[in-house]
Formats: sequence, structure tokens, C-alpha cells
Amino acid sequence: MTNCSTWQGRVASYVDAELPLPEMEAFREHLATCPDCASTALALMESKMAVRRAGNRYAAPPELRANMLHFAKGEPAVAHNAAGRDREGYRNFTARHWTGWALATAALLLLAAGLFVAANRRQSAKAVAEFADLHVTALASANPVEVVSTDRHTVKPWFQGRIPFTFDLPDLQATPFTLVGGRVAYFHQEPGAHLVFGYQRHFISVFIFRDTPQLAMPASFFADNTSSFTLRTWTQQGLRYVILGDANAAAIASLTELLQHAR
Amino acid sequence: MKAQTGSYGEFERLAMPLFDSLYNFARWLAQDATEAEDLVQETFKKALHGFSSFVPDTDFRAWMFRILRNTFLTSRTGLRAKLTVELDPADEETTPVTWETPESLALASATREALQAALDGLPVMYREAVLLCDVEEMKYQEIAQVLSVPVGTVMSRIARERKLLRQMLAGERSVRSGSARK
Repeated sequence: MTNCSTWQGRVASYVDAELPLPEMEAFREHLATCPDCASTALALMESKMAVRRAGNRYAAPPELRANMLHFAKGEPAVAHNAAGRDREGYRNFTARHWTGWALATAALLLLAAGLFVAANRRQSAKAVAEFADLHVTALASANPVEVVSTDRHTVKPWFQGRIPFTFDLPDLQATPFTLVGGRVAYFHQEPGAHLVFGYQRHFISVFIFRDTPQLAMPASFFADNTSSFTLRTWTQQGLRYVILGDANAAAIASLTELLQHAR
Repeated sequence: MKAQTGSYGEFERLAMPLFDSLYNFARWLAQDATEAEDLVQETFKKALHGFSSFVPDTDFRAWMFRILRNTFLTSRTGLRAKLTVELDPADEETTPVTWETPESLALASATREALQAALDGLPVMYREAVLLCDVEEMKYQEIAQVLSVPVGTVMSRIARERKLLRQMLAGERSVRSGSARK
């Protein structure tokens, strides 16, 4: 339990993003000076992430989704008795119905493809949420970065031997961005680079991982600003880049371009 | 069916993105695949039937989850869950939210399976607030609408459920049915 009398009792509300904006800002500043609150907030954020991962447990049966879609459209749904699972059709099958079955198979394949896309979208949304969590957790920590340097020639070599790949960082001179530092981040047990950039009073996270299917991110370029963060992700030379922060979309796009042309 | 032809498209647009979350929540409530499917179907049926009474620009997600939960509560499993665990009135008051770090570390470092087992071990009525908050990422106000309780009660329920989870993972106690009452 935190011994900090000022904020005790409000840490959970902060982590749940339920404090009014000025208090959120004040608490964020407080975290930098109070190790008690910082460790409490960090533990709570990590536990929220753990519950989120554990709680996203059950996937709905494809036929239920198809039926609900029919239903929502006002179309007659295919009989779907969850208790009975009527399989009479199988018993009545005869060879003369083959064309019907061929069509049904084709429809099922199309449905499966649709469901695959939908499942991928859901997975992507989860991955996006997890990156947002990594960003928030790191910034809430007393030490957001392990290597503190504005010099790309210091930060990049620091990752040598710590992650199984290398990457290029852009020259930020004459740009509104500053490099704050970096740390090793883990996503689904895979080590990667977490770089923190400063832009005005905002912090922007850039995650770089090997582009594996486990990342479950959108196939190529993807931008999302539906949540409170602006996020962009893309692949480049076998690496997956994820950039997110609460800076405006133009700033995120500008940093994206710098990273894409880093040499 | 009450919904007008023009409203089907709007209902589909609003309801289908919630389908996966509704099913996941239904499974956590019912703890049974067949029952969860029935719950989701019934929820969609009721929601479409009452869609004309839904006020546009209000919280559709909270509305759908509330229908789902109310449907569950009137089911046989739901009634049994309500009878098995009667919420402690003391817990309904707003209590200060505290967070013990050593215990919380047990929660943060728990494996997915251990956490799922701990959530399974909680009585239904003791897991819904934390699932809505942490898994569905609902705001307290939204959870209050789903559970039909004041926001202060939501806060204390979330705190209590997190505490129970931490205690279960720390191996301090086994929380099941009646023993959940402190």
C-alpha cells in the first residue's frame, strides 16, 4: 500500500483513467517524485493487463456469429439451437443433393474467410491495446527508459545483445522531436526495442519488434486514432514498428516518416 | 418484431461490433457454452425488439450489456448465482480503494491460466465488475449503467474483486460461494 497520504485511495482511479483531466496531470507529475505511488500504480497497471489477457478467454462459435448477423439484418436466421444442435440434415443427405452441398461448402468457406478476417481484426485490436498498456505502464514507472540519452549513437548500440535484431534511428536535428531514451520491452515473450521520443510536452513511444505472426497486427500500414492515443504501425525490413502517443496525428505521422527514412 | 426495416441496418452497425465481447462476458457469467449462446441470442432478440426505445447518442454498449446481464439474472443459473452469493450491504458503500503492493505483484505476475482459474473460482457476482472494467475497458459510469448501481458502488466492487483475486493468487484463501462473504 502506498504511504503517500496525498494520493492514497486515488491510485486505482488514476490507473482506470477515471480522475478528472487536471488531476490526471497532477498525479502523473507526482509519480515522478513519489516511488511509493509509482510502484503502486505500476503494479496495478500490470495487474489490469494481466486480467485483460486472462479475461479475453472465450471465442464465439462461427455459426452463432453468422446467425446473429442474419438476425441483426432482419433476415431469417439459419436454425441454430444451442442446446439441440439439430443435425437432421446430415442423416437426410443423398448423392442427388451434391450441388446444394457444394454451394453450402462454398458459402461456408466464404463465411470462414470472413470470420478469419474478423478474428484477425479482434486480435489486432487486442495487440493495439497491449501496446497502449506498455506505453502507459512505462511512462508511469519511475524509470521510463533504461538508457537515457538524446544521442541516437548511444541509444542504438545499447540494444546490442539485448534484442535479436538491429534498427536505424533518424537524425532528429532540425526536427521538433527529441530522443529521450530506450528500454527493452517484451510482447508475447518476444524482446524488442521501446524508444521514447519527446514532442513538445508529449511523450511518444516507438516499439520495434521482429514481425512475427504472434504480433497479430494489421498486415501493412495501419493508423488508428479512435482511442485517446494516435497509433501507427507498419513493417519495414522484417521489423514491425508501432508508434503511439497522445500527440496530434500530424506529429505522429511526421515521426513515422522520419523513422521510415532513417539511415 | 418491433424494429422497423430502416432500423435493422443501424442495429447491425451498433450491435455486431459488440458480439465477441458479449459472448465472452456471457461465458464468464454462465460458465457454460450452450447457455452463453442462448444468452447472446436472447440479448440480440430483446435488443432488436426494444431498439426503438433506445435513445440515440446514449451508451449502446452499456445498454446491450445490461440486457445481457438482466437476461442472465432471470435465468436458472443467474437466479442460483444470486441466491448463492448475496452481496454484502457493507460492500455496497463506497470504500477507500487500497492496493497492497506485495499482493498486487502476485496478481501482476500470475500466469494467464492461474488468473483464469482465480476468476473461475470467484462467484459470478464477484467477478463481473472487474471484468467489465479491465477486460471490456468500460468507464465506471458505464459499468454503473450495466449493473444498475451507483458509481461509488462500482468503485468499491472493483476494489473488492481485485482484492479477492489478489488474495486467491497469493494463496491466502479460497473464495467460493458463501465463503466470499467477508
